[in-house]
Amino acid sequence: MSAILELENLNYSYIDGGYERQILQDLSYSFEEKQFYTILGPSGSGKTTLLSLVAGLDTPKSGRILFEGKDITEIGLHKYRRNDISIVFQQYNLISYLTALENVLLAMSETDNELPKDRKNVAYNLLERFGIVSSKADRLVNQLSGGEQQRVAIARSLASNVNLIFADEPTGNLDTATEKEIIGIFKDLAHEYGKTIIVVTHSDSVSSMSDQRVLLKDGKLTKL
Amino acid sequence: MNFIKRAIKNVTRKPSKSVLLILTFFLIGNLVIIGLGVSNAAESAKILTRQKMRAVVTYKIDYDKINQYVMQLTDEDEINKFYENYPRVKLADVALLLQDERVKTANAVNTNMWYSDRENSLDFVHLNNQAEENMGQNGQSCWYDENNVEHCEIYKEPYFLIKGNMFPSMIEFEDGEYQIVSGRFYTQQEIDNADMVCLVSENLAALNGITIGDTINLANSNYSTWMEEFGATQEDLENSFEVIGIFSHNNPINPDAPNFNYMYPYQNPDNMIFMPSTAEYMAQLTLSQKEWDHYSQMYPEESYYSEDKRPSMENMEENLYIENVTLLLDDPMNVEPFVEEHQNSLSQFTSLDANNEEFNKLAKPLDTLSIYANFIVWLVLINAIVIITLVTALTLKTREYEIGVLLSVGASKLKVIGQFFIELAIVAVIGFTLSIVSGSLIAKSLGNKVLEYQIASSDINENGNGGLYYPYDGFDPWSTDYSTDITLDDLISEYEVKISPLIIAEIYVLGLGIVFISVIIPSFMIMRYNPKKILMNQN
Repeated sequence: MSAILELENLNYSYIDGGYERQILQDLSYSFEEKQFYTILGPSGSGKTTLLSLVAGLDTPKSGRILFEGKDITEIGLHKYRRNDISIVFQQYNLISYLTALENVLLAMSETDNELPKDRKNVAYNLLERFGIVSSKADRLVNQLSGGEQQRVAIARSLASNVNLIFADEPTGNLDTATEKEIIGIFKDLAHEYGKTIIVVTHSDSVSSMSDQRVLLKDGKLTKL
Repeated sequence: MNFIKRAIKNVTRKPSKSVLLILTFFLIGNLVIIGLGVSNAAESAKILTRQKMRAVVTYKIDYDKINQYVMQLTDEDEINKFYENYPRVKLADVALLLQDERVKTANAVNTNMWYSDRENSLDFVHLNNQAEENMGQNGQSCWYDENNVEHCEIYKEPYFLIKGNMFPSMIEFEDGEYQIVSGRFYTQQEIDNADMVCLVSENLAALNGITIGDTINLANSNYSTWMEEFGATQEDLENSFEVIGIFSHNNPINPDAPNFNYMYPYQNPDNMIFMPSTAEYMAQLTLSQKEWDHYSQMYPEESYYSEDKRPSMENMEENLYIENVTLLLDDPMNVEPFVEEHQNSLSQFTSLDANNEEFNKLAKPLDTLSIYANFIVWLVLINAIVIITLVTALTLKTREYEIGVLLSVGASKLKVIGQFFIELAIVAVIGFTLSIVSGSLIAKSLGNKVLEYQIASSDINENGNGGLYYPYDGFDPWSTDYSTDITLDDLISEYEVKISPLIIAEIYVLGLGIVFISVIIPSFMIMRYNPKKILMNQN
């Protein structure tokens, strides 16, 4: 298996109360394709910061992030987010005045990736695959439950037909049963659809279901 | 185009927020329409009235400047010297002004009252009024000889009014008050050569059987015994003029006018004769020279009788003493720019007058109204920008997560701003469209009420500059004031608050401008951060 995402000597720090706080220190790691990763770590270890950097939402102080061998700054962070990756947030981050279907279509409308012509049907099918039937797909997202909203968020992450999906505490707001269901979806995505899933979590139950577990501690990643 | 669809969905799916914003824009729109409507009505009334006025500019001696200059002189000799060479308007200045393509013609007029020759070969057009019946019985003209003996003669009123001009056209003819019905006006060459040519009225021509090419005989004065003193003869007074043009005019005589019976023949426009100023001067030159020669011997020490002052064609401009020259421009709206442009290129102690003092005085209530209205517009616009920017900033603050999400899925910042702009533009257009109907109704009634109040509280003479004494309706044969009389009623009649397509366009442009500023500032404030920071702020 080849590497889809490589991190080279990443450094990240910020000033807190007049002192520089080093979050990531010469961090290097390689993520292989079609795998379901979980990144574990104690609170404040920099998991979300790391996810922001690899998702192109923020930039490191130094070091390189390579996507399929290309530096993401060379691809362009905007383009990288639009065409190469998707993100699932803990807060779902759906747009409240759009329906579940329209939220999925939003990702399709922004990407430059090749998509089927009948986007609406594709979006309905995607949602249905994650348990959102068409009657619910046409509802505004704030009329859905938390679990349903997270499913919509996952459907949206798949809509733009990318191979790398990040998720930041995707089950943090969900009950145990729904958590299992969502993680099961991620596993399927990696194994059946060939996507690479990188989930940041502090939950052992989530990480126990992943293919590879990685620990972020003292600014470095270690394979468990 | 998806950002446009999202914008429409946001507006339609958040109706309470949209209605509140529509209401805000509706109120702003009403105030702006009232302001713009009233201001435009005031400006239009002024422009329409100005366009009805003659486009004339007067080149004249600036007595204020002269007074200021003389006041600061302390040496009496210097003061006397200044008065001996008293400033005068310069035809060279006028020639330069005439090169401006906006100038149609100029009136540098000298007026005289003349008689027919001793044979009375040219009869005047009769009014058959009381004044004519009493001609020759009205009084005496007296003079003193060198032995201080008084000599008196019966005074005889002149028949004809002679108007000479230094330029080959006249305002009266350019603007159609007088029309050439046969022949032509005199040329610059005829002026320069002092050719004895003239134009007579069609009634005078008909009465005397004159056709183009005929000659008429005129006397520039009635022969008096005092002329014998300096050896002048009747022949010196008489000249023949070739008739090169016959004109009609728009100054019909009204026999019911209050002063009709006191009108003399020379006050009748039918008895007006136009000729080059040079010809008019030339006709009087022999008499002037003889008189000058006589008095220069009597008072050789007087500076006026120095040899260079002897009347001649060379010193004609000095002797004619043209007090002012009126220029006719192509458009009344060019008057003020023309004056502004040329004011500083004139000879010392002369100036250009736009003849708009009375107009400006009458237009004062409209100006005040316009100032208030513009003030309202600016006040509302500034407030609108502040209010809408704050409202948008607050709204966008609650939508930071949405901006973060849109950026995280790869939407460009431009598209995000575009979406917010369209959202606000939709409600603004609805609000402004509704306000056009109500605003125009309010503007009409409010504008009229404020104008009434302005007029009532100002001390304007509603009769304009009327009240001058004219021998009969409207026509003053000596007047060199070619400006048009206007009254407050003229201005008020043009005042009408109308919400023109231009104002409507202005409303939309201003409204979209407000929307643009209101969106761009808070959007920039939020989007200067990277998407992670924006999402973290939300979380």
